[in-house]
Amino acid sequence: MNAPEVLPVARKLSQSMIDAYADASGDHNPIHIDEAFAKTTPMGGTIAHGMLVLSFLSQMMTAAFGARWLEAGSLEVRFRAPARPGDTLTARTTDLKEAEGRLRYAVECVNQADEVLISGTAEVRL
Amino acid sequence: MTVLTELPAGHTFEPFSFNVDARRVRAYRDATGDALSLYDRAGVVPPLAIAAVALGVLLESVSLPPGTLHVNESLSFHRPVPVGASLECRAILAQRSVRAGLVVSVLDSEILLEGQSALTARATVMSPQPS
Repeated sequence: MNAPEVLPVARKLSQSMIDAYADASGDHNPIHIDEAFAKTTPMGGTIAHGMLVLSFLSQMMTAAFGARWLEAGSLEVRFRAPARPGDTLTARTTDLKEAEGRLRYAVECVNQADEVLISGTAEVRL
Repeated sequence: MTVLTELPAGHTFEPFSFNVDARRVRAYRDATGDALSLYDRAGVVPPLAIAAVALGVLLESVSLPPGTLHVNESLSFHRPVPVGASLECRAILAQRSVRAGLVVSVLDSEILLEGQSALTARATVMSPQPS
């Protein structure tokens, strides 16, 4: 299998998107959905669920690899900074290595200021 | 309800079953803006939706302290999961430590489809230490 082109995925994040994710996932931690509570924390306001932002990286890989991603994909990431309502987020690859029957991408998700919010690797077994 | 930070390392959660029905999948895809046609054509679930729904069910029996943050996540996908499938989740609190007043919890989980592993995950979260 040749490495396919992996195109970036961009999404504009809104509080309604975060609220919808909280309902869909069942994760109603107030840091995500309660602005009054979130303002009392070091975050200073609501932030997106890490798994919501991570979903953009998985969407990017699914778009590139199709069903193969669903049966032979893996992600290993660190959440480095919060994503906030109003942010424009871009999931993208920054490097590719092929070894031992795997394609291994360096991946990241950045905001509109190019601040890295998530970084890590995405692998696909060939 | 049990609070995650009160559990000891090695705590095994009661295995639970859950369903990823079309309504849940649609809600997840709408929330994440996932319009990929692959899922409609193949009738399968976005893999992170499986992890998200499993976490939601787990959170019905164990709560995260307010202010808990997700620090690291590892996920491996082993087989596509059809929409409407019944799944089983097995989870264990693999590690628990305290650093700088924060409780670091490492949760390992495996999602099974018809007895076969469909997804494995390791999540690390940091929570304020209970006072």
